[in-house]
Order: sequence, then structure tokens, then C-alpha cells
Amino acid sequence: MTMPALPLAHLASVIRSKNAGPLCVTIDLFFRDTQAYERAVQSEALKAPSIAFHYGLHASQIRRFELPRIMAIKLSMPRAVCAGDPGDGDLYGAQQHAPLLRLML
Amino acid sequence: MKSLLENTAVAHLLRSHRPGTERLRVLSASGQLGFGIVKESFERGLLRRPHFIGCDMGSIDPGPYYLGSGQMAAPHEMVRRDLEMVLRAARELNVPLIIGSAGTAGAKPHLEATLALLREVAEANEWSFRVATIGSDVPRNVLIKARAEGRLKALDESETSFHLSLPADQVMKDASHIVAQCGSHTFIQALQSMPDVLIAGRSCDTAIFAALPQMLGYDPALSLHMAKIIECTSLCCVPGGRDAILAELGETDFILESLNPNAHATPASVAAHALYEQADPWVVEEPEGTLDLHQAHYTAVDEHRTQVSGAQWRPRALPTFKVEGALRVGSRAVLFAGVADPTMVEQMPSALEEVSRRVHQLLPGAWTIVSHLYGQGAVRELPEAQRSSHEIGLVIEFLAPDAGMAKTAASVFKQNLLHFGFTGRLTTGGNLAFAFTPSEIDANDCYRFVLYHVMEGVRADELFVIEAHDWNFQGVPA
Repeated sequence: MTMPALPLAHLASVIRSKNAGPLCVTIDLFFRDTQAYERAVQSEALKAPSIAFHYGLHASQIRRFELPRIMAIKLSMPRAVCAGDPGDGDLYGAQQHAPLLRLML
Repeated sequence: MKSLLENTAVAHLLRSHRPGTERLRVLSASGQLGFGIVKESFERGLLRRPHFIGCDMGSIDPGPYYLGSGQMAAPHEMVRRDLEMVLRAARELNVPLIIGSAGTAGAKPHLEATLALLREVAEANEWSFRVATIGSDVPRNVLIKARAEGRLKALDESETSFHLSLPADQVMKDASHIVAQCGSHTFIQALQSMPDVLIAGRSCDTAIFAALPQMLGYDPALSLHMAKIIECTSLCCVPGGRDAILAELGETDFILESLNPNAHATPASVAAHALYEQADPWVVEEPEGTLDLHQAHYTAVDEHRTQVSGAQWRPRALPTFKVEGALRVGSRAVLFAGVADPTMVEQMPSALEEVSRRVHQLLPGAWTIVSHLYGQGAVRELPEAQRSSHEIGLVIEFLAPDAGMAKTAASVFKQNLLHFGFTGRLTTGGNLAFAFTPSEIDANDCYRFVLYHVMEGVRADELFVIEAHDWNFQGVPA
């Protein structure tokens, strides 16, 4: 039996994005419990092709790390421009998590 | 007057502390010195008799302006307050005070501004002590030679990082400031001058806290892992915060304890901190090697403290240094306005283009606009369905060779956009809603990063300049 999909925002306790240096942005997802984490790890929605689609990147540009001990998934990717370049709209990369909030897992 | 080097705080610590007898108590007072150290938690830390006090003062995060302009991000008044607080404590306890990445970006003007404030504080209090400094400005010829010899490289050549191209020699000559991040090795060299206080230009956050432990013989992996966590003070706790944190370093582990009794360092919160602002949660690159956290182990001591062990250290044969440089793009003026007419919102991109063309005819010159349409995907690209049509915020940057041209372009542009006759226009009173006047504002110089690379095959002493001076203000009231 397949489980009904749930929005990521209901499964995670932290959904944050931030620069990792001026050239990369990294997204940290911390899950509420082991069940939520396991669901997230299995979900296609959080795999590289899906993430790449939401950020206009190629799957090969996404690095994904699974950290079962702290029930976290990390997604690191290139920034569209170097931080602070004219045209950059998010110097700290702190608001790049938004498209993930509505992902259904 | 204290002129004998054996009496300085660093000399005293190196002489009196032996690993294995008691744990080394390291007090991290601030991860952003100059934005207000939390007094209560810092004072709670002092009651624990720390062996030394460290503060981080800088970061690349606030963007290229600070490195480029030489300005500090933190307000001078607050920097003076924080410096006085940590210096007073260090002098009273006679323990070393170590501050890294002085003045935000750690270039020469940042280091000088920080030292000037430190001096003001010392003079006002009639304190005497020995100060060591590390200059982190990279000589341009060293950089140009490294580039020519293929020793200046991308930090990450893979496609998982934005590719910042190697700047041309002329760009490296024109960049206003270029710094390298020094590591523990350089801090150790500076500490060998036996100061009471060490103020470093651009440095690895870890060096602030890992250098003295390594001089004392502690394990580099443990020292660096501890340093990596405590440089952000109590951010590794639940709830995270800016309160001072105490690390007690032993021979096989270290124990973390927030000095805010309501912020708890738990195994999960400390482990989670390894993810913060790191593209790879397992690996921390240092000039002298790689810190590997795969085997790191976190255990609760009690509900407030966590014990950490297990990190591994792989030294590299020759050091590599991260290099940061900023170049002035031009002067910037900014125009702020709101738009509530759906037809104007719809036509905004073409209206901006047309108005820009007209204003360029009125004001020829090398000025350009960068527009941010809030509500339409200014923060990140938005799907069509999520774009606002009933109200948008308009922020337009005007970049020009000088401030006069940037401001003139902004003013003339504003008036032309206000009365631009777009197709289907019903609202002939004006197209823009201003929240204040003047709605176009001078916004300093604009800089961009031209270097965020790694340099190999260079010795630390070719890059970093260590000095030590005895300051004597006893009986010399300011």
C-alpha cells in the first residue's frame, strides 16, 4: 500500500538554505522523527533530478548527503551568480529554500 | 612595566599548562565581535577561569563591499564596547586574547581600524601589554606569479560550484583589497612572539581557537574540530544563540557547554552544526590539511553539555591558502518605488527597457541599471502563476563610474518612469508609489568578488606579515 503524500514542511523541523561560501548554496533539512527521515530519504522528490528541476540546474550539479544519526538531508548546489555580484537577489542565500516547502513526499 | 616576555599571557600559559593534568578551558566570547557580546553569559564564562579567550570578527558573508571598501560591517561604537569587554577580562585574568579576521574582511584598513579602537581602549584604561598582529594582504606579484605558474586555482572545479573565472593580471592589480586566510600555522608563528593579545587579519575561523592548543601539544584533529564548532559561540546549541561558549579540551575529547543556562549543547544539535554553511558536512579544508568528521562522535555528558571525539586530521605536504579579492565596479544609486497597476506590472520589463533607452539619450555615459522586481521573482525566479500582479516593489540599482552620474541617472530615470505612457495606460497621474522622498538614494560604491580561489606552492611567510609591539599606557592617561 502506498502512503498518501505529505508536504515536506509537515515532515521537517528545519528547512533552511544558506551560502556555503560565495559560490555555493546549501540546503539543510532536519526531520521530526526516524519515520519522516526514512520517508524523505526514499522520496523521489528529494533526489537530485527533482531538486535540479526546482532550481533550474542539472542533476549532476546537486550534491546530496544523508545523515541518519541526526535525521538530516543536505543538498548543496552552485549559486546562480557569485554572492554580492550586481544582480544577486539573495546575498546570504538564506531564502532559497522556498520552492521546497511545498514539495510532496 | 611588563617588559619581560616570560611574563606575558601566552608565555605564562605555555609554561604553566600541561595536557593531561587539567583540561584546557577555551572561552569563545563572540562569533561576530562588534555586534554586541552578551554580557551575562560572557561573565559566566570568566567565572570558569578560562585559559584563553578567543573571538571571531569577520566573514566573507556580508559580501564584497567590506573587503572592497576597507570598511567594517560592525559599527565602531559597538566594536569599541566589545573590545573593551574582552580586553578587560583578558588583562584581569592575565590570559591570552586572540581575535581573528579583524574588522570584518581582515585587510589592512580593517586591521588598522581594529587596532586603533583597541589602542583607544588601552589608553583610556592605562593598560600595558604586548600585541602581535598578522597582516593578511596578498602581495600582487606573488598572486600574478602563482597565476602564471598554474598555482592559483578554482576552489572547487566541479560543476557543483559556481565557476568564478581566474581574474586577469590587470584585475588582480586593480582589485582594491586581496587577502588570504591564514591558518593555525601562522597563528602559532605569531604566538611565538609571546604576546598578550593577538589580532589577526583575514584568518581561518579555526586558527583563533586551534593554534594555542596545538602549541600546548593537544591533538590537531580535536583542536580544530573544537575550534570549528566554538567559533560560532552557542549556535551549536538548542536553542542556538550568540552567547559565549566554553570548551574544555582534553587529550581524547572535548566538552562543550553554553554559558547561557537555557541553551543546551546536545549530541544532535552539535552534530547538526557541522552542516551549517558547509557544502560538505564531513570535510573541513584548512591551509595545512583536511579535517575529516566521518568518525566524529557526540555523547551527552548531561542535558546541558556534550562530549565530542573522533575527528581525524590529514595534513597535506604543502599548504594551500584561500584567497579573496574585491574589485570596484562603480558607484551605486538606488531607486525605490511601488507599483499597483496590473497593466503597468505586466509591462514593467519592457517599460524599464524603453525608459532606459530614453534616459541614455538624455544622459550619455557608462551607466547601467540592475532591476529587482519584488513580487515578480527578485529573490529567486518564480513560476508565472506565483508572480504578483496587484502590487510589486521596484528596486533599481544605477551603477556608474562616479556617484554624480549614478544619482543623476536615478533621478532622471525616476521621473521618466513615473510618467511613462505605457500601452493601455489609464492612470495619467503617475505610475509609481513612493514611500519616502527622496526616493533615489546614494548607495556607496559597488564591489564584486573577483577572487575566491585557492593558491598553492607558496610559503605562509610570503603572504602573512607578523609583527609584535609592546604597548605601554600605564601612567599615560589619554
